[in-house]
Amino acid sequence: MATDVVRIGVLALQGDFDRHAKALARCGVEAVEVRKPEQLADVDGLIMPGGESTTLLKLMHEWGFVGALQQFHAEGRPLFGTCAGLILLARDVENPRQFALGLIDVGVERNAYGRQRESFETQGSVTLDGRATPVEMVFIRAPRIRRVGAGVETLARHGDEPVMARQGSVLVATFHPELTDDPTVHQYFCSMVVRAGARRGAGVPPCEASL
Amino acid sequence: MPNFSAGGIATPADAALMMQLGAEAVFVGSGIFKSSDPAKRAKAIVQATTHFKDPAVLVRVSEDLGEAMAGIETSKLAEKDLMQTRGW
Repeated sequence: MATDVVRIGVLALQGDFDRHAKALARCGVEAVEVRKPEQLADVDGLIMPGGESTTLLKLMHEWGFVGALQQFHAEGRPLFGTCAGLILLARDVENPRQFALGLIDVGVERNAYGRQRESFETQGSVTLDGRATPVEMVFIRAPRIRRVGAGVETLARHGDEPVMARQGSVLVATFHPELTDDPTVHQYFCSMVVRAGARRGAGVPPCEASL
Repeated sequence: MPNFSAGGIATPADAALMMQLGAEAVFVGSGIFKSSDPAKRAKAIVQATTHFKDPAVLVRVSEDLGEAMAGIETSKLAEKDLMQTRGW
């Protein structure tokens, strides 16, 4: 694979994939909309966007994405799930209980703040590579992380509750960084992808984020 | 501002066309429920909306769907069904 720029996929079955692709483009990364599992071979990392997790699961099963994503993760390529994407990546899901990939050891509750009128925006702070950075957080019918496993690092909280976390090559957020103009969170994911590519010996070139 | 596209969409190809024209979502009501096999057609339209740029998928999901919602020819509408004669 020619690697002139970092290529990061955005799962484009349903949901907010377009805004994630634009956020990646602002980080100097080539964003690839992924609609079939074979497209995963051409990307160094993948964003699983917000949307409606039941719909996403149906489409993932229909197209054979479950095994393909487990393989993608086993190869050490990073995944970033926001909102519904987090629900798909979690170990346990409640409200209702449903299948999840189990690639990050957290338990999540769907629609945990309530209905659409309980959606909100707030100014928060994320701690990335030991540095606290202010970030605007948009929560839309968001899930809540109810349990954080021992191997999971909490990167941001809202009040006392974790809203962004990482375990190895898997990053998750309950909020929507793609809906703001602030590239901080996407830049962090880009740097995860670059570092993971270097470890795999894939020759992934640095993106602006890692400079 | 999201483009939420609706009205007269009756086939997977209709839904894909809306997406190709720039819609971000496609809403289908009677196009599904007035067809001969609503469940199968609904599923096909969902697939066509996701894979709107993939002709092979569009061909496959468009096969064996039964009858689509019938269109209505304006010139054959009865006087009582015309919108412009309603009200006062």
